[in-house]
Amino acid sequence: MKKKAILYLNQFFGQIGGEELADHAPEIREGLVGPAMELNKQLGEVAEVTHTIICGDNFMGSRQEEAVEAILGFLEGKEFDIFFAGPAFRAGRYGSACGHISKAVKEKFGVPVISSMNDENPGVEMFKKEMYIFKGGASAAAMRKDVKAMADFGKKILTGETLLPAEEEGYYGRGVRHQVWLESGVPATDRVIDMLLKKIKGEAFQTELPIPPSDLVPIAPAIKDLSKMKIAIATTGGIVPVENPDRIQSASATRWGKYDMTGMDRLEAGVFKTIHAGFDPAAADADPNVIVPLDALRAYEEEGRIGSIHKDFYTTVGTGTTQGEAARMAKEIVEDLKATGVDAVIMTST
Amino acid sequence: MKLEIGNFYVKDIVFGEKTSYANGILTINKEEAIAVVKEDDHITEADILIAKPGDKTRIVPVKEAIEPRHRVGGGAVFPGVTGELSAAGNGKTFALKNCSVLVVGKHWGGFQDGLIDMSGEGAKYTLFSQLQNICLVADTDEDFEKREQQKKNHALRWAGMRLAEYIGSCVAELQPEEVETYELGPITERPQEVQALPNVVLVLQPQSQMEEAGYNDLVYGWDCNHMVPTYMHPNEVLDGAMISGSFMPCSSKWSTYDFQNYPMIKRLYREHGKTVNFLGVIMSNLNVALEQKERAALFVAQIAKSLGAEAAVVAEEGYGNPDADFIACIVALEDAGVKTIGLTNECTGRDGASQPLVTLDEKANAIVSCGNVSQLIELPPMETVIGELEALARDGLSGGWSDDEILGSSVRKDGSIIMENNAMFCGDRVAGWSTKTMVEY
Repeated sequence: MKKKAILYLNQFFGQIGGEELADHAPEIREGLVGPAMELNKQLGEVAEVTHTIICGDNFMGSRQEEAVEAILGFLEGKEFDIFFAGPAFRAGRYGSACGHISKAVKEKFGVPVISSMNDENPGVEMFKKEMYIFKGGASAAAMRKDVKAMADFGKKILTGETLLPAEEEGYYGRGVRHQVWLESGVPATDRVIDMLLKKIKGEAFQTELPIPPSDLVPIAPAIKDLSKMKIAIATTGGIVPVENPDRIQSASATRWGKYDMTGMDRLEAGVFKTIHAGFDPAAADADPNVIVPLDALRAYEEEGRIGSIHKDFYTTVGTGTTQGEAARMAKEIVEDLKATGVDAVIMTST
Repeated sequence: MKLEIGNFYVKDIVFGEKTSYANGILTINKEEAIAVVKEDDHITEADILIAKPGDKTRIVPVKEAIEPRHRVGGGAVFPGVTGELSAAGNGKTFALKNCSVLVVGKHWGGFQDGLIDMSGEGAKYTLFSQLQNICLVADTDEDFEKREQQKKNHALRWAGMRLAEYIGSCVAELQPEEVETYELGPITERPQEVQALPNVVLVLQPQSQMEEAGYNDLVYGWDCNHMVPTYMHPNEVLDGAMISGSFMPCSSKWSTYDFQNYPMIKRLYREHGKTVNFLGVIMSNLNVALEQKERAALFVAQIAKSLGAEAAVVAEEGYGNPDADFIACIVALEDAGVKTIGLTNECTGRDGASQPLVTLDEKANAIVSCGNVSQLIELPPMETVIGELEALARDGLSGGWSDDEILGSSVRKDGSIIMENNAMFCGDRVAGWSTKTMVEY
């Protein structure tokens, strides 16, 4: 029996219309719309596309939670074995939408999710670790080729074929590294000598452990006089009000929160706690000040060693959180800090 | 220094009246061999079993592997360890090839011990499945560590070395079938055409993380934790100056057999005089305190520069904390203008998604990788177990567990197992044998 696939498209490829209809609310249709036909054809005897989901790029961009919730609702109770999104080519909002919905579908239904984007699509950086994103063309001219790549890999997954490394399959590496036996049987010693001689001669060589360029932020110069400074506290230690109002995740966080400390001398246990899943929470739950040191800072404030403490502290969870998400959250927090005239931040981790 | 290793190729091992070697057949007088093992009163029980390639045999907990050898003209095979100190690496040593003495706990395993399958899927991980193995299966009265996860395994490891020397001595009066010659003259006196080749050093980082004596690799019997990096002749390593310790998760281990046959040294010898001028070995270490790591890196870079090295190969015995030493050493060498290649394994987690080394640096741009210590491995039962299978689950082997809410115990009732590569005996073959690599998915 054929397996079942569902495809996500934006308003343009879903044949609703162009930019003026980018606010189109999510909908699901039985059968094939636009590229779904090509996908269905390429899946051949292995699978059929049963439904097409269409959502405007602006709708997904500006009302993401609502859009995702609605689409997950459509899928509830539907039988499907695999989920495709795109191809999104170089369209940034579309790529991001494909990523958001694919990630949510994977998490909720546990099915494989596959997309395709051009390497300049920002969706690649945002979502390549979450899903299979095939290296796609710059425009819809590459539609047939990109759909074929998605379909071929989908078929491999559905039929249980051995999946090859990212480079060989043609998708962006997901940062997942596994050991393999080299078919050539070349021992490490020979590989070392080969690399060594090439490096000595200044020839190109390929490391077996590519190290991503580090993105080190220079440490800011020391502040000589803190007595006039407004100091904020930020943490990746997951301290939140006990009800965790912003639903910050306990690992692999994508959300951050800021919470008012006005009138408090310290963070009280029972009022605040940690939701961080990466360490034993006992000490932090008993005394949240070990991570957000309001008690010590209030003392400094009283002594006049620091000017004042910013009323909110900023918090998220560091464990499993990707560098990309961390950088995005930090940039958002920095906007807020600048707007409220904060001079310096104490950043605590765990 | 000139080292001649006279090889005797063992094709089969049998028990018999006289410990002897003839026409590829190694005969062992079991009683006499066990008497040698029991020279140490701490050995309470001992037996010797043979495991051959293709046998449906699983060996666990394996603590050490040693190539049987004999030092021609007398002297300890492992100077400063099994006998008095003397210089290694110059002269003649006989070696029984294609075989090893495996030191196996009769009952008790520990964090540092590993597993060997002599056939099937599990056999591809470790070199020792390809050798004729003389398994010394023994127990000791070292009760202080019986239930400790970290074991020094002193009595057992030393018994293994004695046994390897005893067996090796049976070829003392024979003519070897083949002689390998390893000769490297003083750096300043090498022929000009050799000196004109790119100068390369090999930096070895043997395991030395334990502050307490008894766990670390030894150099001429000296704890590698208590040294600063020093220059050594590669022949010394090949000729018993280094012995393995009892600490590291096993797939990352360099056994004593690895030191005796160190593939990266032999490979550099092959290039010497052709493509490179192999200057020698800088013996470093892997200590835990940051200052010790920095000091070691500083010494390595200085020695390499003073020797005139323009390129280096750095190999580490371990992962996790030692990655900091590994990367620091590579960075120090690159900063000193020495083009450096790293040789290691990785710890990317069972899902493969973790950062491969604890520390990363863009300067480490040329690394050869031999595997993932945390890869899950599931293997069917074997007909025979040498040692005690339950040790894998019970005794805290780095790749075994007694219970897991999803996976259950590492050892199942039917004798099948599920473990991390961590507990494969020398499973990543990081001394250079490895035909594994790591790829991104």
